[in-house]
Amino acid sequence: MRRLPEAAVLATVLLLLGCRGMPSPFPPIHPNPNMDYQERYDPQEASAFFYDGMAMRQPVAGTVARGQLDVDHRLLFGRDDAGYFLETSPIAVTADVLARGENRYAIYCQPCHDERGTGQGILFERASTPTASLHDERITAYNDGRMYDVITNGVGLMAGYRYPLTVEDRWAVVAYVRELQQERRTMQAERAARQ
Amino acid sequence: MSAGNGKRPERTYWRSLEQLQSDPAPVAVLEREFPEGASEAPPELLRDGVSRRSVLAMLGGTASLAGLTGCDIIRRPVEHIVPYVDAPEGMVPGVPLAYATTMPFGSRALGLLVESHEGRPTKVEGNELHPFSEGASSVWAQASMLDLYDPDRSKSVRFGDEASSWDDFVAAWTEGDLGPAADGTGFAILAEPSSSPTLVRLREALLDRYPQARWVSWEPVSEENADRGTTLAAGEHVHALYHVDRAQVLLTLDSDFLSTEGDSVRNLRGYSRARRVNEQGGGSPLRHYAVDGVHSVTAANADHRLRVQSGRVAAFLARLGGSLAGHGLELPLDAGAPAGDIDDAWVDALAQDLVAHRGAGLIVAGNRQPAAVHAAVYALNSALGNAGSTVTYHRTPDSGTSSDGDLAALSAAIHEGAVDRLLVLGANPAYSAPADLDFSAALESLGSAGAVIHVGAYRDETSRFARWHVPLAHYLEGWGDARATDGTASVVQPLIEPLYGAKSLIEVLALAALGESRDGRDLVRETWSGILGLPLEENADEAAVAGTAPEAEPEADAAVDGDGEEAAAEEAVPVDPMSLPFPVALSEFEVAWRRVLHDGLLDGSAAPAAELPAIGAEDGAAAVRAAGDAAQAIAASDDLEVVFRCSPAVHDGRFANNGWLQELPDAMTKLTWDNAALISPATAGALGLENEDLVTVASGGRELELPVWQVPGQADNTVTLDLGYGRDFPGRIASAANAEGRAPGRNAYLLRTSKTPDLARGTLSPTGGAYPLAQTQDHHSMEGRPIVREADLDHVEAHPDFATAHSEKPHENSMWDEWTYKDSPQWGMTIDLNACVGCNACMIACQSENNVPIVGKEQVMEGREMHWLRIDRYFSDEGESRGMLRDLVHDLPSEPQTSFQPVPCMQCENAPCEQVCPVAATVHDSEGLNAMVYNRCIGTRYCSNNCPYKVRRFNYFNFTKDTPEVMKLGKNPDVTIRSRGVMEKCTYCVQRISRAKVDAKEDGRGLADGDIVTACQQACPAEAIRFGDITDAASGVSQAKASPRNYNLLDDLHTKPRTTYLAKIRHPNREITPAPPPAEDHSGGEDAH
Repeated sequence: MRRLPEAAVLATVLLLLGCRGMPSPFPPIHPNPNMDYQERYDPQEASAFFYDGMAMRQPVAGTVARGQLDVDHRLLFGRDDAGYFLETSPIAVTADVLARGENRYAIYCQPCHDERGTGQGILFERASTPTASLHDERITAYNDGRMYDVITNGVGLMAGYRYPLTVEDRWAVVAYVRELQQERRTMQAERAARQ
Repeated sequence: MSAGNGKRPERTYWRSLEQLQSDPAPVAVLEREFPEGASEAPPELLRDGVSRRSVLAMLGGTASLAGLTGCDIIRRPVEHIVPYVDAPEGMVPGVPLAYATTMPFGSRALGLLVESHEGRPTKVEGNELHPFSEGASSVWAQASMLDLYDPDRSKSVRFGDEASSWDDFVAAWTEGDLGPAADGTGFAILAEPSSSPTLVRLREALLDRYPQARWVSWEPVSEENADRGTTLAAGEHVHALYHVDRAQVLLTLDSDFLSTEGDSVRNLRGYSRARRVNEQGGGSPLRHYAVDGVHSVTAANADHRLRVQSGRVAAFLARLGGSLAGHGLELPLDAGAPAGDIDDAWVDALAQDLVAHRGAGLIVAGNRQPAAVHAAVYALNSALGNAGSTVTYHRTPDSGTSSDGDLAALSAAIHEGAVDRLLVLGANPAYSAPADLDFSAALESLGSAGAVIHVGAYRDETSRFARWHVPLAHYLEGWGDARATDGTASVVQPLIEPLYGAKSLIEVLALAALGESRDGRDLVRETWSGILGLPLEENADEAAVAGTAPEAEPEADAAVDGDGEEAAAEEAVPVDPMSLPFPVALSEFEVAWRRVLHDGLLDGSAAPAAELPAIGAEDGAAAVRAAGDAAQAIAASDDLEVVFRCSPAVHDGRFANNGWLQELPDAMTKLTWDNAALISPATAGALGLENEDLVTVASGGRELELPVWQVPGQADNTVTLDLGYGRDFPGRIASAANAEGRAPGRNAYLLRTSKTPDLARGTLSPTGGAYPLAQTQDHHSMEGRPIVREADLDHVEAHPDFATAHSEKPHENSMWDEWTYKDSPQWGMTIDLNACVGCNACMIACQSENNVPIVGKEQVMEGREMHWLRIDRYFSDEGESRGMLRDLVHDLPSEPQTSFQPVPCMQCENAPCEQVCPVAATVHDSEGLNAMVYNRCIGTRYCSNNCPYKVRRFNYFNFTKDTPEVMKLGKNPDVTIRSRGVMEKCTYCVQRISRAKVDAKEDGRGLADGDIVTACQQACPAEAIRFGDITDAASGVSQAKASPRNYNLLDDLHTKPRTTYLAKIRHPNREITPAPPPAEDHSGGEDAH
């Protein structure tokens, strides 16, 4: 019985340790908040001031930020003055542009369209997304402006990629897809020639 | 000079803006934020005096109780992540965008580039493309952002005491009886002058629609005198534009054109360019003569100053005219009778200088001087050949100037009953109209009939009389446009939708002028269609402008056209989307319009300098003589001249609820939160007054009681009153009762009459009481240390190393291993004292960028103001006038030389603060910055104790607790908001350094000089601050540091600061100030060695 106090302490500690990690409806106790929650609005914070509860606001309609002059409709929409899709891309296709296009394609297009453009990317394999092959007649017949429009706004089940891709990036992807299509044609021609 | 009267306030008192904003409900002690400790001791405790023991006792008791009231207090708050549902294109959350806009200020415009985080404006900068800012900004431009997020702004349309809506107002106007009579009889509009082309267009439309309506353009502090004088002399209405950078001799007559009057940003830029010296410190910088009675920023930076009463400036001008004629100017003038207060030798030397620099001189008169003086100045500039080179005149579309006479006529008309509908557009006549007009009574009589409609940002003194009140949109949230002095047109584009549903001036005016509610953007576009000369196509591709193109619908619908039967019989033919046109090309107008919005101005819209006929010799002489006749003589000893000055902080009162400006130390007096009756030391001595004594200023039968303050450099027998204080509306800053139970300042408009709006005559009598004032710098002496180093130009040419010659050389051995900096970049900064004039723009810019709190008057009196960057101001006596500094430690000099020195953190390589921090909360980083780690700081304040420059600021209280939601919108998300118990200081805007590094890395390039611009550097109109990489020999800062003028502050302490100074060069006229004898080696530093 002399060891009762020590035993009691040990038992209490072990019991309390067992209480850790239990689920609770309340947020954890945070005794020393310091400056963890500051009186400012970080991106994506909620705000009690605005009706929609968001601290992030939309830019006012009709305003133009620096660097967003956006007056070149050929570049922005891929259409010419009359409104028809452009036949060819308005940017000069250089090695840098193709490299950038390849880079962006690998991030945004490859999951569905596959790295060779055959439409059998990982989403097709795992989720049966009915992705079109970029070497399909229909799509090889696209002019550059139409392809740009598809990338920007989407078509069918495909969403538009205007948000992650800047205008220059989208034209780079167009250039890269054209290169993919050209490579496929070349390969098929060689195969046919060999037979 | 602090209060120290031992009395503590009875009522609840507040320490900070943010605390004040919280709902005024009694807060029980137990509900305070325990157990972290008392953020503020309750008032009961402080009544008995705060002692640590009592506070700790309080803590001990309540901490144990806190456990019982619930642990919710110390749980982590639930945070929601709220992303965009419809993300705007081109905006990456976390990366700010910049929008070019314009700040319309009176009838002028300042081009701005406003930084916006996620659709909320957070920082104002100047627009580098706009010729009137060139990237810099003024105190008011920087502080105006806080007004957008003012929680005391008017939040809704009001009908009587009830909240209403814009639609109800429109209905009342168009269908109800609120609208005026058919031809406008009895309809009066009171507006402030504005250069907005849209406003002008709508005004004309309104006057067309209501021919009998009366439009009164008026503002309390205006340029009416300058306008009338220039118009009188030039024969037509032109605006003067100063090109100070082309001047070699500058004479300012009661003018503060470098900080509060006119295009101050542009003028200051030109001024600092003109004062530049070459690399060796020589050259031919501008020589500035100032003749005035009010010691303003402009006067303080003059090489020579003649202290005369403001009313005597006209007499000076007359004598100058005669002297100029004597030196060869072709004006038939003679000097006239000598005047006791005007030094003829001084006038003579000045005249010689002006004549010697014909075409490169510039005479500027201030807005307080009567029109006759402005006409005479026009004549002299013309005769000297300055017109066309250093000052040009421009015909700009008439925007309507302020007219006191029109306001008086309006007041009379109201009293007669000739007005039955008054629309007040943004003005506040109940507060700031001349006292003798008794405009409040006029408003009262109209208001009781329900005839006053007030459009304003606040529910202020005038809105009390209004039946209808419409909230006015801030320029950052509404569409508009403006023209600068030379006609450069720009558009005001909003950065956020109106926070409280406010309407811009043009929208309200459109309702009156066009009879319908129109959108501000449409109104501006219509005006600009005219300005650009391009037709506004109605179907101008709204979609294109919004940046989205609707998808072309490929099939289905196209086949349904035509007869249903035929379509059903055929197969639906899919239509190839490639063959469908969708016009997206922007019209010419859209392209031009977007260019204007993008750049922030319309290129080429500046009006060229008008070719005005040279003023004839006789006419010129007559103008100068007329000015002389306008001079007032106030020689009697018991009569003082009373000068009404637009406050350098709150302007004419419009910024009275702006905490940053109220806490901004005045450049000369370093007073905050109050205005005082400013008098010269000699006058104070004669009247037996000390600082803070309460006096009654009586003028024209009216009285005002306020404390007195001595300003070295003020003319004798003059009292200067700053306007804009003593507001009476429920704005928490403007009417916050301080410890003395009074709101900031006293209303000087009560003394101002329409006959004497600028200069009056009055008396000053002590009342026997005292009123404590909060001052941030209560001494003016350098105590014999070479803190500000200056030299005269000829001395510099003989001794190029003057700035470092008499420094005490520190012992080179340090107890610590010194940092070796091998890598780039290493950050450094230089501040050119030759350029800095003390305008304070950098202080507000720093406060805005770094979320620096304001602390309130009591804390400022304790010396706890939080400005990271302060501007020290030193007075010294010209004494034997060698152009060097002589300290007078105790006396206030009457003819001081004033020096300004901005002091940010020195970022010492051998930082004394780093050596004593017990928790390593302030450490040195590899790029030379002294980094402050806020969350390590435990608040011992040893670092501040050890800092010899005293640039560290401690958060004694949690100044940002209970920040209203709306104020959080304007905080810079890139900068931590410091809590209680944390030390803070200038960081060289490390957030900007980080962002530039990230941007450079993403782009795959290195950092270039100019990629990183600190907030203070960017705001400074004088380009005094340079920042950059000191290991890059080609960077601007390295070149500045290589100058022989470069010196370290307190260099004998061997702190090796990264922030260094370039010594100031004065350019005295040796006719006035003889050169010192060359035998003794007088350095440009101190003579205490």
